[in-house]
Amino acid sequence: MNRQTAPTDWKGAAMQKRIAGRYAAERRFKAIGLGAVLLSGAFLAFLLFVMVGNGLRGFTYTNVEVPIDFAAMPLTVDASRLGDADADRAIANAGLADIVAFAADEALGADGSKLISENAWKEVRTAIKDDPALLKDKTVFHLPAASEVDIAAKQGAKGALGARVDALETDGKLSTGIHWSFFKNADATDPAVAGIWGALKGSVLTIFIAFLIAFPTGVLAALYLEEYAPKNRWTDLIEVSINNLAAVPSIIFGLLALAVFINWFGLCQASALVGGLTLALMTMPVIVIASRNAIKAVPPSIRDAALGVGASPVQVVFHHVLPLALPGILTGTIIGMARALGETAPLLLIGMRAFIGDVPGGVCSPSTVLPMQIFLWSDEVDRGFVEKTSAAIIVLLIVLLSMNALAIYFRNKFEKRW
Amino acid sequence: MTFNAAALLLLIAGLALIGWLAGRARSMMLAGASGAKLHSRPQYHGWYVALWLFAPAAIFLAVWASVSPALITNSVLASDAAQNLPAFGFERGAILSDARSVAQGAQAAVRLPAAAPLVKPYADATQSYAWIGIAAMLALALAGGLYAFTRIKPDFRARTRVERIVMAILLLASLVAILTTFGIVMSLLFESIRFFRLVPATELLFGTYWNPQSGAAQPGTFGGIPLFWGTVLIGAIIAMIVAIPIGMMTAVYLTQYAAPTVRKWVKPCLEILAGVPTVVYGYFAALTVAPALRNFAVMLGIPNASTESALAAGIVMGVMIIPFVSSMADDSINAVPQAMRDGSLALGATPNETIREVLIPAALPGVMGGILLAVSRAIGETMIVVMAAGLSANMTANPFASVTTVTAQIVKLLTGDQEFDSAKTLAAFALGLVLFIVTLLLNIVALRIVKKYREAYE
Repeated sequence: MNRQTAPTDWKGAAMQKRIAGRYAAERRFKAIGLGAVLLSGAFLAFLLFVMVGNGLRGFTYTNVEVPIDFAAMPLTVDASRLGDADADRAIANAGLADIVAFAADEALGADGSKLISENAWKEVRTAIKDDPALLKDKTVFHLPAASEVDIAAKQGAKGALGARVDALETDGKLSTGIHWSFFKNADATDPAVAGIWGALKGSVLTIFIAFLIAFPTGVLAALYLEEYAPKNRWTDLIEVSINNLAAVPSIIFGLLALAVFINWFGLCQASALVGGLTLALMTMPVIVIASRNAIKAVPPSIRDAALGVGASPVQVVFHHVLPLALPGILTGTIIGMARALGETAPLLLIGMRAFIGDVPGGVCSPSTVLPMQIFLWSDEVDRGFVEKTSAAIIVLLIVLLSMNALAIYFRNKFEKRW
Repeated sequence: MTFNAAALLLLIAGLALIGWLAGRARSMMLAGASGAKLHSRPQYHGWYVALWLFAPAAIFLAVWASVSPALITNSVLASDAAQNLPAFGFERGAILSDARSVAQGAQAAVRLPAAAPLVKPYADATQSYAWIGIAAMLALALAGGLYAFTRIKPDFRARTRVERIVMAILLLASLVAILTTFGIVMSLLFESIRFFRLVPATELLFGTYWNPQSGAAQPGTFGGIPLFWGTVLIGAIIAMIVAIPIGMMTAVYLTQYAAPTVRKWVKPCLEILAGVPTVVYGYFAALTVAPALRNFAVMLGIPNASTESALAAGIVMGVMIIPFVSSMADDSINAVPQAMRDGSLALGATPNETIREVLIPAALPGVMGGILLAVSRAIGETMIVVMAAGLSANMTANPFASVTTVTAQIVKLLTGDQEFDSAKTLAAFALGLVLFIVTLLLNIVALRIVKKYREAYE
């Protein structure tokens, strides 16, 4: 060990250069790290920007001003029947659609009836049902424009249509309003009347069923595993299967639901019931894992104290441990439910892909959910649906983000340090 | 009068509530009359009666709801009107279901003329079986309730009994997970075995031509290799090229450099990326990313650039997985003992050198485990590939071309109009089985790595 080495010359040019190099590498590395963070943030910002940019226009719609003179074109329908259940049919049979088309032609020129939506007369029908006095004189209606006209008015268009829309605009015949039927209607082939209410209601029903099944089952299973389960092969098996289920691809749950719920039990296909059951099986492991962590966080001294004053093991858990663990359990449940609400793939397999033009009536009637509506609209080549899809995405994201925000609020508010 | 399970469930729940009140009142009355001390508090007596009233009736209801349709059909088939039905087959089933939906009020009139005479027998049978079911259920509920009610005495150990039932319910709840796993394995296995009777398993696993036709099985068209390749290309190669470096560097920056307040704000923002539904990512990929990439590819002069490309799906999937990789890496880096980091810094290494030479090698097993979990997630992801990667089974390494994946094909095979027994639908279950096994193995290996590594430092 008597090898001679020259002492390091820390002040030498070579060494200074080396140190400078190391510091430069340090700065580069830090910049790369910051870059990675910014890049992920930029992806998120870009995604939200594109969705909001496309989607905001979906919440408004172009209306065309059409005066209809019912005094000149009498609609022969008995005013007393307008309150009846079959008022819709009575008005349709009286030829309101033709009257509206004729009025549009008269007001806007020969192609007038093509400028308004095919379903525009239904708006007039609603107005008449609300106020039968309209039938006696001339009223100016603001009727939804045809999809191409709406797009041309919002984004500008070339050619004959563009010129026509520009002319209408300079005449002051076009107006923009909030697109209420987007919130009130179910799916339709005409973008002027297609809406998300049917899908939203389907989502609510589905999630409600999923919650009704997954929450009690998940919490009870977690209580058993954490508080009472003996350490043996059975509980190991339960534990392993819960952890595995949490990582099984969601589409596999769709296959399970198709084989078991629909083909074996014969439950109603494409319904909120089967959808809810499927999502419940999917979310249950998430709830179990979150609940176990929350239960584990309750200190043993609470249990010991309760046992010490004579509570039974079941009383200890239901009177003391569960209430204390509940905020944590709810946080996990909300996150699990938010994930289930955004899920599409398993529902695709149980037939929720079909076009549903009605708002679902019950848990067994065919229904669709919001993510599925987004998926179905994304297939529509019709450009009017691009806006609709993005608008529906905004609604879905708002719902999901507020659920997540609620979960974070819960976590912060009820977080306890023992 | 149809058999409305939800309404009946509410009915017996209502009866159970009455039972609860009655049981509680009786126990208090008995205690008051005899002057004896109750063993259990009054509400436990109430719960005892309510449980005895509710549980047998609810179990019967569940069994009856699954058995009665078959009984109804049998009795209709035994009636005179059913004698001139066609023999077994699709037509017979269609006529029966047509008559059933009219009889139960789901549709206004029959679509098939042959179903018309069956409507009345169906309605009659439905009604009589509904009455039988309701009567039996009520009888069971009352019998159970009465039995429990008569057992109430001041010294009756109601609490112990109720607690025993509660424990049984807890055990049952935890068995649901096993049941689900069992259900998944069994349903995938059964349908796959039926598929492998039509098409050999070796063909699905090693065949190179995928083009399933509807209807009968045509051997030679169920080669799964193009799908497996597409899945690997998108999920394990392209998505990981995006997710691993960005996720790792994000984790390094957030754990080692970022100020606590920055970390506090950036982490939830990253979690938003994980919380966006996959259908939104799919739409984003198909609408924005894919056309941009196609224009880019055309600019580079790449032939057969498609608007549905492996690259678009892979990049967007990678973005989706960034928060996942980053939080796994974050955990692993945090698990490395502070002493190792301090030691390296004390020797004069810069933070950058410490991270690269000490922290990352020490955290590597955990990071690897996290990456395997991310891969497992990526290959099971469905909506992004369905919407952005296309459905044509190409075996190509060109990321600008359209490829297809296992999950996309499962969706495609199961969303057409076809018989449930055709080779095409069964193939979806066989693909599902392959997917399930692969993700299961990946998860097991990953979890084992993560666990083993954790123990080494703790």
